Amino acid sequence: MLEVRGLSIAFASPTGFTPVTREVSFSIAPGERLGVVGESGCGKSVTGLSILGLLPRRHSRVTGEILFDGEDLNRMSPDQMRAVRGRKIGMIFQEPMTALDPVFTIGEQIGEAYRQHFPVSRAQARERVIEALARVGIPLPARRHDEYPHQLSGGMRQRVMIAMALICEPRLLIADEPTTALDVTVQAQITDLLLELSSTQGTALMFITHDLGVVAEVCTRMVTMYAGEVVEDAPTDEALLRPRHPYTSGLLRSLPRLAPRKAVLPSIPGRVPLPTEMPAGCRFRERCPHAAPGCEGEQVLAGIAPQRSVRCSRAAALELPGAVA
Amino acid sequence: MSGPTTPVLQVRDLKIHFATREQGVTVKAVDGVSFDVQAGETFGVIGESGSGKTTIGRALVSLLKPTAGTMLHDGQNLAALSANQLREARRAYQIVFQDPSAALNPRQTILDSVCEPLEIQGGLSRIEREARAIEALGRVGIASEYARRYPHMLSGGQKQRVNIARVLTLRPRLIVCDEVVAALDVSIRGDVLNLFAELQRDFGLTYVFITHDLSVVAHVSDRVAVTYLGRFVELGPTEAINEAPLHPYTQALMSAEPVALPSHLRTTQRIVLEGEIPSPIDPPSGCRFRTRCRHAQAECASREPEWRELRPGHFVACHFAKS
Repeated sequence: MLEVRGLSIAFASPTGFTPVTREVSFSIAPGERLGVVGESGCGKSVTGLSILGLLPRRHSRVTGEILFDGEDLNRMSPDQMRAVRGRKIGMIFQEPMTALDPVFTIGEQIGEAYRQHFPVSRAQARERVIEALARVGIPLPARRHDEYPHQLSGGMRQRVMIAMALICEPRLLIADEPTTALDVTVQAQITDLLLELSSTQGTALMFITHDLGVVAEVCTRMVTMYAGEVVEDAPTDEALLRPRHPYTSGLLRSLPRLAPRKAVLPSIPGRVPLPTEMPAGCRFRERCPHAAPGCEGEQVLAGIAPQRSVRCSRAAALELPGAVA
Repeated sequence: MSGPTTPVLQVRDLKIHFATREQGVTVKAVDGVSFDVQAGETFGVIGESGSGKTTIGRALVSLLKPTAGTMLHDGQNLAALSANQLREARRAYQIVFQDPSAALNPRQTILDSVCEPLEIQGGLSRIEREARAIEALGRVGIASEYARRYPHMLSGGQKQRVNIARVLTLRPRLIVCDEVVAALDVSIRGDVLNLFAELQRDFGLTYVFITHDLSVVAHVSDRVAVTYLGRFVELGPTEAINEAPLHPYTQALMSAEPVALPSHLRTTQRIVLEGEIPSPIDPPSGCRFRTRCRHAQAECASREPEWRELRPGHFVACHFAKS
């Protein structure tokens, strides 16, 4: 359904365009739940934004293909894109408060999103909105419809965002760190809700997060990004059990939950290279405990097993620990 | 007053209420909390937003005045001290905050920032201060060439190390760590937690580790207190709480934590809590958790649960908890 091929994004800087992602490729099947993981600056959020056509056109350059049902979103005009965004591809972001307009009621905002794509009267839209609020588990939806964002808690606001994203019944929902700002118990409510909606409505999910625990619970497949590149693509359970890229393995091993109490935690030394100082060859090389001669050569994302690919020329030779050492 | 067995902290019935714009209406951020922290111990405080955990931390380092209750630091009541005496005494009790960037002045060099606490304390020459700052920076793994740089030239993890160096210059006994790794990327969290553990061993530091992250608190703490709406609902040894939590809230909290294990290895049955934390302006009568508790009964609304020691050193505030 969605196929991203060789997607490279560059941002304008005083000295020309600085590449931030390179040749990102992955696909999402109808109804599939894909997790995109990686740390700050790895390019996962800009990848999500580029699919939605939300990067500023003047200050960014997007090359490659974003095929959605066979059509290249990257070649669409802003008008064409408006018919896709919200209708066929929904979105939710991390901070529900900044995504909602404080001076309009919840109902007006969700209704606006609906009426953008469906020619219905205000009264009809109201009915649809109340239904949508009820479906995301908001108590007293008819009353909430007429309330303002500040009257709701963080968890309720994120439910409102989900209702808004799903009211047009999109086929794909892009969720960028949707639970990061929430408390653990509320996060559990929201991930359960996303799981349930995705399975009952068949909505595919692109779940962007730094939290491997959330990915383990929500996603069937997991793409790991590092320094603007996809380094591993695998079914979630397999990637957690037996990661094939040293970065995925390093991320997993650094989780305190997987280490004995008070034990020294494994960590990944150094830091992500800056976009302007990207080394040739493997971008993880300088932090990688398995680096060897050959790693300075070009690394390709290569298939190693059915549904699994990894960008590491040493993958076949390495036995890497996963969630269970 | 402070002997070898005197706890570093003795907190009794601590209450911190904030006034609101409406007359007579107060936010009961902390509403009756008691605990001791022993020397060399890591005392974890876990809770969600609005539980009062940050307010407790700030009160422990005299950044907030308690509304009621007493706090003894090494047997001494800091509230009874004069401003000058307090300045001298509080150097032993320091705090590191969540956002490493916000805690550093962007227009000051790293060295100046690290020297500042010593400057406020007085008593050392500039050269002595700088020497001690460089030593502290070295101790947290920041090479001396970074001393003349500005915060924006450092990564988040490095900045947090600088903040740790900053409190180390004062040679504290206790450090309150308020969400110290929450803003850091997963791969460097481990590094910073390892550093805290190392410093504790080397300097015999005592920590109060405040966090919302169960995996962090379970990893670093000797004992854990679980906060809910301004109260402790459970307190006990980390292992006991991890393996067999007694309070229904602790049970729900732990079951909600997403764990990065493949599906066939994830065993915990999730207890989904209805609704959200009630307002600390008008907390529920009786047990504060009863409005979201699946075991709640009439008694929970009418009577406040006692603080019971169900197992040695393991306390819980619930009428129905069984060991």
